[in-house]
Amino acid sequence: MEISDSTPGAGEAESTDVHHKIGQLTRQLHDTLRELGMAEKLRGSAEELPDAKSRLSYIAKLTGEAAEKVLNRVDQAKNQHDHIASETHRVKALMIQDPVAAVAKGHIMNFLTDMEQSSKEIDQHLTEIMMAQDFHDLTGQVIARVVNLATTIEDQLVGLLIQTAPPHTLVAKPAPTPSVDGHPVLQGPVVNPEGNPEVVTSQSEVDDLLASLGF
Amino acid sequence: MANPLRFLVVDDFSTMRRIVRNLLKESGFSEADEAEDGVVALQKLRNSSFDFVVSDINMPNMNGFQLLAEIKKDEKLKHIPVLMVTAEARKEDIVLAAQQGAAGYIVKPFTKATLEDKLIHILKKTGLQ
Repeated sequence: MEISDSTPGAGEAESTDVHHKIGQLTRQLHDTLRELGMAEKLRGSAEELPDAKSRLSYIAKLTGEAAEKVLNRVDQAKNQHDHIASETHRVKALMIQDPVAAVAKGHIMNFLTDMEQSSKEIDQHLTEIMMAQDFHDLTGQVIARVVNLATTIEDQLVGLLIQTAPPHTLVAKPAPTPSVDGHPVLQGPVVNPEGNPEVVTSQSEVDDLLASLGF
Repeated sequence: MANPLRFLVVDDFSTMRRIVRNLLKESGFSEADEAEDGVVALQKLRNSSFDFVVSDINMPNMNGFQLLAEIKKDEKLKHIPVLMVTAEARKEDIVLAAQQGAAGYIVKPFTKATLEDKLIHILKKTGLQ
């Protein structure tokens, strides 16, 4: 294979120069961050990014499952509704044809029993559709934590900009109100419960734990 | 037949308050009010009469643990059973809730059957039913 040898060494030298400059900038940034004490803070935030990724995956999973559950239940409820409509039409025709026979042969009683059962099943579908909406609460809590992480990173980057900006460009900013909370930090929904002995993964585990405490 | 017991549902998410209230209604408990955090819940508990509290834990202003502690140290309120319904699944949170006097603990997401079971169990245990 033949390699072009026009302007030998020119492109190579340019590339080496760019790499050298990037290396210098990286070193400067690294030194600046270390001198300003920002390296540790940014590293802490960076370590939380994989957690944010799994939290976002959890949101996608939960919303997907909820949508699937709702659509399945709607399909089943619609089938029940179609059944009610067709049965009503059929029994109505029997009533018009011979009302006495419709009652005597048990068509009406069977229809009423069938409607009672169908109505109960539709109610169960509606309850499940309602329960599927609990994803809003769970994902809302997870989203709040991811937003909090994004805000922290933003604050740290803004802090870095302020500390490195020329003095004449700085504008005084009021200090944020510190939060006071003597209670344990709440974690919200557990997005990766597998293999974590500190969390429960089912209601039966909660009940067992409470039972062991005498409840 | 509707049960006359009065419930207070505490959760910062309106969707969850609505779900719990609907489930209570389906279980025959149609008398229910709601609060979006512990502060509002405490005000309502002190200004009105309730027989049962169903509370979330992770809420702004005053969380469920703080609300539970306030209820249990108030002579007029401490008899009210508090059922925690929460996404907090850490064992230490469950133990803490039990130590603070919670009547029950349900981890979200939960089913209608789970809520009904806990309600019946607590109501029988406390003599409310």
